[in-house]
Amino acid sequence: MDNIPPAALADLKALLGERVLTEPGALAAYGRDATPLFRHAPDVVVQPLTTEEVAGVMRVATRHRVPVTTRGAGTNLCAATVPLSGGIVLSTTRMTALKEVSRDEMLAVCEPGVTAGALNRAAAAEGLIYVPDPGSKEASTIGGNVATCAGGLRGLKYGVTRQYVLGLEAVLPDGEVIRTGGRLVKDVAGYDLTRLLVGSEGTLAVITEITMALVPNPAAARYGVAYFETMADASEAVRDIVASGPAPATLEFMDTVCIAAVEDFAHLGLRVDAGALLLFGDDGEPDAVDRSVARMAEVCGKRATHIELAASIAAAEDLLAARRCNLPALARSGSMTILEDVTVPRPKLAEMVAFIAATADKHAVRIGTFGHAGDGNLHPTAVVDADDQQAVEAALAAFDEIFRHAVDLGGTITGEHGVGAAKLPYLEHRLGPEQMALLRRIKGAFDPLGLLNPGKLGS
Amino acid sequence: MSESVSETMSEQTGPADSRGIFSKDLLDACISCGFCLPACPTYALTGQEQSSPRGRITLMRLLETGDLAPDDATLAEESSLCLGCRACETVCPAGVQYGHLLEEWRDEQWSGLKRPWIVRPLLLIANRKWLLRILGLVRRSARKRRRTAPDQPTLMLGCFERGLFPSVSRSIAALDPNLAVDPDQGCCGALHAHNGELEKGRDLARALGVRLPGTIVTTSGGCAAHLADVIGRDRVVEASEWLLKHNADSESRPLRVGLQDSCHLRNGLGVWKEPRDLLGRTATYVELPSAGSCCGAAGTYALVRKKESKAILAKKIAEIEAADLDLVIAVNPGCLRQLQTGLRKAKSRTKAVHIVDYLAQITRQ
Repeated sequence: MDNIPPAALADLKALLGERVLTEPGALAAYGRDATPLFRHAPDVVVQPLTTEEVAGVMRVATRHRVPVTTRGAGTNLCAATVPLSGGIVLSTTRMTALKEVSRDEMLAVCEPGVTAGALNRAAAAEGLIYVPDPGSKEASTIGGNVATCAGGLRGLKYGVTRQYVLGLEAVLPDGEVIRTGGRLVKDVAGYDLTRLLVGSEGTLAVITEITMALVPNPAAARYGVAYFETMADASEAVRDIVASGPAPATLEFMDTVCIAAVEDFAHLGLRVDAGALLLFGDDGEPDAVDRSVARMAEVCGKRATHIELAASIAAAEDLLAARRCNLPALARSGSMTILEDVTVPRPKLAEMVAFIAATADKHAVRIGTFGHAGDGNLHPTAVVDADDQQAVEAALAAFDEIFRHAVDLGGTITGEHGVGAAKLPYLEHRLGPEQMALLRRIKGAFDPLGLLNPGKLGS
Repeated sequence: MSESVSETMSEQTGPADSRGIFSKDLLDACISCGFCLPACPTYALTGQEQSSPRGRITLMRLLETGDLAPDDATLAEESSLCLGCRACETVCPAGVQYGHLLEEWRDEQWSGLKRPWIVRPLLLIANRKWLLRILGLVRRSARKRRRTAPDQPTLMLGCFERGLFPSVSRSIAALDPNLAVDPDQGCCGALHAHNGELEKGRDLARALGVRLPGTIVTTSGGCAAHLADVIGRDRVVEASEWLLKHNADSESRPLRVGLQDSCHLRNGLGVWKEPRDLLGRTATYVELPSAGSCCGAAGTYALVRKKESKAILAKKIAEIEAADLDLVIAVNPGCLRQLQTGLRKAKSRTKAVHIVDYLAQITRQ
């Protein structure tokens, strides 16, 4: 152990007993999350069960000056939960109480280790849904979703995690417990600390309870697919669709690299000769959904080479499956997959997509692009041979240019994955030196000793 | 400690620093997305990363690169704590063949004297064809029935099933008079492959494939998956798949019946609909909430990891009790033994029965 004094370890064991892991193998397993390339093992892993135990862990950490990295399921893609300075990994996976689902107030109260899928199923039993819809929802925890402000396929119409968090309970580094927000839709008493903690990636406090708004389950949903000769045509169709009426629930696209990979993997009958595929859909009352989908098909019709409306639920599910299996379909073609997450204003979509393709060619990297076209969120994904160091470096060089160009177009370096350790080098390019300094002062106000997730936001 | 492990942790196995324990392409397939976590019964028990499929693959990678010592305590613990149920494979977006990785891992981790002592005598018995034959004679498993036509299928008798559940082979022989029976056959080797003797396990499967030409019908889901993996899916048919073609509807449906899937049959061969169809035609079928997940028998697991096996079984028994079933049906001898033990201890009114015995019984009535 280099980073944790034996006395701190003894205090943790006195507090949590067997729920303190120190075997090298166990620590190594906690040395990574879903992000390629970033590795660092902690010195100890703790599994508290209650807010009081979390507070106890934080008091030990403060007393002995040991860094703490909070971790849910570890499915994030920005190395947010890799403990770069070692120390304690605080795992929330055993804090799984779903305390309340209220139909009357349309909200749920749960501990951070509940998975997004479990919360959604509990909501469904009351005729409600948990809106944020990240690809990892069956595995990822609500605590992690809040800490990274997870997005998903419903962003354009419904927003992302931050729009649904009503209140939080959190433990500060010295063990103090705070409660921000509450159960109210309207509440402007004080700074909005709830929103500050959402997306703070475990750098300000440890979230121990979440009060989450739920919405009624839409009565109907319909989908269609349009094919285009180029991604530029698809991007223009997206712009026209959004301009032509209320925001639809689903506007997802994928480029020709992705179409080929998905068809090869899932055999769904996609048109592999197309340059772009746009999946569109909406949910709500049946009549309104029909009108919305018809309108989108009509707008696409000006530019699309082919349009199909899903006639059945099975056909719709095939379309959604096609979009969701982009990542695995691409991942099968190489041993390392780097999935990125830039976002640009919708009018700049075509330009950004063209830049990504040109940059991939320039660096001779295979990059497939898919994403949430409706909200401008793109997932350029490089698949390389992990043993080929030159190919890995070429991919990283390509992404370096892609991040910078996204910011230059008025976009951002990450739409929904988070900053973590992976994007920290680009953060100043996005925020500027003044905001970076303010971020550090905010971090200092919460965590003067710099113990929470060092080497990430605010460091 | 943490520094030395982390600094040298490589992304994937490189050719320069690999120990050759694992097939590189199998190990490289994992993208560490973590989608397997909610499918894993042992991760549900511990909530700990190293007890998840992704965490175990991280351990395998560190064993392969030499960053964890072969005698590392977590390697020993996790290679044994894993049920080998392969539920993770069904949710893996990257198509990782976890079952094969576990076989390769145990081939290293449980080689020779490192094998759990309780498993050793079982492998010794299964190795001896003459012993299995005597077992069959003493316990009266299905009698010899010569193969008369080249397209005639042959019944696989199983190794321990002959001793533990001899009625099963008798029942399927009665249900299908066209099945040939050859008592002079050995073990399929699934037991070996899952317990650290991968090559031996494959050899035994190949030998069985030679001894029993043409289609082989088996009453054990676990054996079916292993045998199909070695000699080809086209030559292996599991009993519920087979009997679905031969069995007619029953007019009355007097019994409330549930099912326990065989993990390898469901997750390895994708056979889960067939036993449900068979039961739905002949009884009031009740789907148990966790019918598709492991009962904790998991081959030798119930012997090697008694505590965890019991913890997993306890949930299952509570579900069966809540469903108020007459019968719970198994499609694999290990699951059958596990459920019978659990139900007996719980003094349940529900009986656990092999699907073939169940069908033979209702056909006779």
